[in-house]
Parts: sequence; C-alpha cells; structure tokens
Amino acid sequence: MTVISVKNLTISYNKKPAIKGINLEVEEGSIIGILGPNGAGKSTLIKGILGLLPSETGEIRIFDKPVKESLKRIAYIPQKEQFDWDFPINVSEVVMMGRYPYISLFGRPDENDHLIVKEVLEKVEMSDNQFTQIRNLSGGQQQRIFLARALAQESDIYLLDEPFVGVDAKTEKAIFELIKELKEKNKTILIVHHDLSKVKEYFDKVILINQTLVAFGDTDKAFTSELINKAYGGRLTILQKAEQLFKN
Amino acid sequence: MADTLYKFLVEPLQYEFIQRALVASIMVGISCGLIGTYIMLRRLSLIGDALAHSVLPGVVIGFMISGKNPLSLFAGALTAGILTSILISYVERNSKIKEDTSIGIIFTGAFALGILLVSQLKQVHIDLSSYLFGDVLGVSDSDLILSSVITVFILISVILFYKQLLVTSFDPTMAYIIGISTSLVHYFLMTLLSMSIVAGLQSVGVILIIAMLITPPATAFLLTDKLKTMLLLSVMFGIISSVIGLYFSYHFNFASGASIVLTAVLFFAAAFLFSPKEGIVQKYFRRKRNTSVNLTEDILKYLFNAEEKSSGGNAVTELSADLSLSENKILSALKRIESKGLIKGEKENYKLTETGRDLALKLVRSHRLWETYLTEKNIVDMDNIHQDAEKYEHILSDDLISEIEEELGHPQKDPHGSPIPKKK
Repeated sequence: MTVISVKNLTISYNKKPAIKGINLEVEEGSIIGILGPNGAGKSTLIKGILGLLPSETGEIRIFDKPVKESLKRIAYIPQKEQFDWDFPINVSEVVMMGRYPYISLFGRPDENDHLIVKEVLEKVEMSDNQFTQIRNLSGGQQQRIFLARALAQESDIYLLDEPFVGVDAKTEKAIFELIKELKEKNKTILIVHHDLSKVKEYFDKVILINQTLVAFGDTDKAFTSELINKAYGGRLTILQKAEQLFKN
Repeated sequence: MADTLYKFLVEPLQYEFIQRALVASIMVGISCGLIGTYIMLRRLSLIGDALAHSVLPGVVIGFMISGKNPLSLFAGALTAGILTSILISYVERNSKIKEDTSIGIIFTGAFALGILLVSQLKQVHIDLSSYLFGDVLGVSDSDLILSSVITVFILISVILFYKQLLVTSFDPTMAYIIGISTSLVHYFLMTLLSMSIVAGLQSVGVILIIAMLITPPATAFLLTDKLKTMLLLSVMFGIISSVIGLYFSYHFNFASGASIVLTAVLFFAAAFLFSPKEGIVQKYFRRKRNTSVNLTEDILKYLFNAEEKSSGGNAVTELSADLSLSENKILSALKRIESKGLIKGEKENYKLTETGRDLALKLVRSHRLWETYLTEKNIVDMDNIHQDAEKYEHILSDDLISEIEEELGHPQKDPHGSPIPKKK
C-alpha cells in the first residue's frame, strides 16, 4: 500500500530551488534512508512532505488524502537545534505531548495517557529521568525522549531528521532496535541520515537526493557507488561543466 | 519598631484609595505575571513593549468617542493592541523588512499618533502622564472592576488552554502536526497580552508595563525549571513588587510605575546573584569549593608519591612550587586537611592517615588510568598528557574509572611505567 505519494515537488528559499521536481511513492512497512550531501535538501524534503514549507509545485498525498487531513498519523522528530533546551519542561511533560492529539480541547491527560507515557519511557530506558529538566540530559538522552514522544503518539509514519547526531553508539543501537520494532508493526519510517557507513545495515530503501532525486529504490540497487558519486559529486560536476563552458 | 511598621503598612489601609490601589496592584501582578511568562518563553518581549505603547491611541480614541468610560477605554486599547500585532507580522511577511524593524516602525508610529491625538484634546482633561507613567493611587472603582474582570479572564484562559500554550511555545512544529493552529494561539495570546496591558495601564503606565510582563517571569525563570512553578513564582513576584512599589509611592510620593518596576528589578537582581542553581554568587562559591577540593586531592597525592618513592624533601616548599601557591596557603591547607583526619603531623612532616591513604590511592589510580586512556585513544600527546590527566583525575566516579579500566583491558602500568593501583 502506498503511504506517501509525492508528485513533482519543488520548494524554494528566496526564489532558489532547494529541491526540484521530486517524485516518490513510499510503501508501507519499510525503513527508508534519505541521503545526500550537506545542503542537498534532505530536511527540506521531510518538511515539504509535512507541509511545513510552502511548495512551488507539487502534490503530496498521505494515505491517499491531502497532507492536512493525515497529519495526525505522522510523528516528526526534528533536529535537536530546533529546541530551546532551557525551556522549563521535564522529560515526562515532553513525552506527554505525544498524547495531546488524543486529549480533548480542554481535557487533561487521563490514566491511560500516563500509563502510555510510563511505558514508552521504559522502552527508551528513561524512567529514572522522567522529572529531569531537558537541559540536564546527555545528547543521547535528549534524542531518546523525542523518540519516546513519537512512540507515545502511536502514529503510522515516523519522520526522523538526523536522529543519530551527537548520540553515543549505545543509544544509536537502542534507537535503531526500536525503529526496527516499528517496522515489524508495519509502520513506515523515513530517516534523514548523513553517515554513509551503516546505510546497508539500516535501510530497506534509500532516497539519494541532491536538489533533484538522484535515486530511489531498494538499498542494494540504489545505493551503488555510481549513484552515490552522482549525488555527492553533483556540485563538483557542475563546476567542471562551468569550466568547460569557459574554455569554449 | 513594631509601631513604625504598623504605621508604614497598616495605617494607609484605612483610606479607600489605598485599598483600591492594593487590589489593583494584585491584579496587575496576576495578569502580567501569567501572560508575561509565555511572552518571555516565546521571546516576544519586544512585541510586548510595542503593544503597550500602541495601546495609547486606542485609549485616546475610546476617550474621544465616549468619555472616560472604562469599557470604551478597554475596547479602544484591545483593538489597538490586536491591530498592532497583526500589522507587525503583515509588514514582516510582505516585505524584506525583518521583525525587529517592523516592530520599531509600527509601535513608534502608533505611539506618536496617540500623543498627537492627546494634544488635540484641548478642552477635555485627560491626564496623559497617568497613562504614561501610571498612577496607582488614582485608581477608580470602575478601573478596578475592569482589571478584575480581565484578570479572571486571563487566569481561566491560562488554565483551560494550558496544553495549547505549552506545545505552541515549546514546539510549534509539533503543534502544527497535531492540528493546533499556532497563529490562532498567537493572536489569542496577543489579545490576552493587550488585556493585561489595559489592566496594568492605570498602575504602571504604558512605558513601564513591559517590565511587569518580563521582569517577574525572568526572576522566576532563574529560580525554577518547572513551568507551573514559574507561573506561580512569577505571579508572586509581580504581586509583591506592585504592593511594595505602592507603599513607597504613597509614603515618599514616588511615581508609582517607577517604584513598582524598580522593586521588581531588585528582586531580579537578587535572584541573579543568589539563585541556588543559577546565581553568580553560588557559582563563585562552587568554583572556590572545587578549587579547594582539588587542592586537597593534589596534596594527598603528593604525600602518597613521596611515601611511594620514600623521597623526603620539604613538603611545604615542594608543594608550593608544584601548585604555584604561597607557602602560607599550603600550610593552612595542610591544617585544614588534618582537621578532616586525612593526614597527621606538623609543618613539613605530614603523613597520610589510613583514610587519607585510601583516598590518595583512589586518586593515583584515577590519574594513571586517565593518562593511559588519553594516550591510548590519541586524545593528547605524551607531552601534555600529565596536565590533562591532572584535570580529569578529580572526576572520581567509580563507575567511570572502572569503565576506563575495562575498556583498556585492565592495564598494569601507565605510559610512564608506574604501576596502576587496583580498586579497593
């Protein structure tokens, strides 16, 4: 079943396109890596799918509905820089936000919500820190609580923007185990990733992107040295092309 | 003494205008303390100040239409506040102009319009200075009813929309995904902000009201890292500052807005200096205590090494040279360590006690393991390794040290060839 369908998506910042003409059909129940050099538009693609950025062209459908109608079935873990870590909030309060979609307008979290928060905190091994203010957590712990929040949200699609940055090896492994569990429950997980070393181990499919879509497909077919070079050497090639134009 | 205090605090309460001023002060403390917390956390201080200023033309127009009627004043101020916040983001979104410039242009423009309108109100008496600087002693019954209604409304809103305010303040993206309109919450907050400004207008005045919106929350922020506690403390500092300011205003004839704001700033200064977690005084003492702990540990290690090598130099002279401290400081440190029962003796003839030796052993173990770790992992070169290990060795967490030992495969000797003591 197609979960996310992106047709001809173009998003620009200050009239310069960040991503151009992207087409994707993402199937249910897979772990997909979004790869590409810095500034290739990896985060832009994720934000574009969420409708967080205005698109110039393109249509996105999630569960065969417009994005706005399916948003609540998506959990999103942004990059860590996006948060104010001094904010007066503790671990369990952050995770409880994942339950907000299930609570009525003026309602308070009920017993079930508290139970779920407790369970996901156990899952990410953060039960001992539930009352800790978020500034006082290590990088790995900070990432764990946002994963816990995504789990509490009980969504069908998970979009993770560089979840392994500033995270210790043990946490990276623990996070990945949980992601695999999600996959087994037929959830769809998209991960922006910049470390090329573990791609084959982690992802069923990869999206190679450098402004335009370079490749999309099963990891063994799309993650080839030729296509990687195409994605990562893109800017170099353009410079070379420009130099040749000068010579002519 | 008790008599003077009575005269200062209780006597003024017999006057009705003081009673009114007191209630008005409490209302300002509550409404500004609550809204201000969100204004501060969302980094909207500048917009808060802008709104406060641009409320003036609204007030004057309200006055022109129906005289000194608190309801028209309220409607005028609210309209002006909301219009200003919409205009600010409209200009920002539809041109290259950034938010701070947009704020600057619009609020000064609105404020100027207000002053211009006041200067045209020749016959009718409107006391501009009480709007600009506040006159808490001149609060009327109708002012009071208005600010009470506002305060109750704000209190209920903050309780009912706690979730929405929290998630839009902390993580607007999450709010968007779960279907909470961030702009709706923003303009709702701007409405509440305009209302709290109206409530504070009479006692603090438009120019200084921003202080009541950000100073008590900032004070609270230094003292807690829980949102609910922050809201409570912020309200408390708001109320106390307003009430103290009111008394000073009454007894010494100070401008009420100024004395309220200065009191709030004094509280902030106290929290800045003395907050248990964030205060700079506390930080100073913590640093000093760390230095003293480090000094103790350095001396213990020296004595341990001296025993190990059975070299018997003058402990005081050598330590003073090693640690670049005066001999007197070393001597007093030695006495202090003796009083803790870690060493025994006098002058340059100190020996480790049993407890002292245990602690020294732990330190040497830590130092040598760190040295080994730092070289093995190529973190530092051999020349600097000793200094770096000196820095790390004071981290004496047993778990961490054992983890290092584990990772290095239980080495026997450090890079200099000295034996690494085993865990006791």
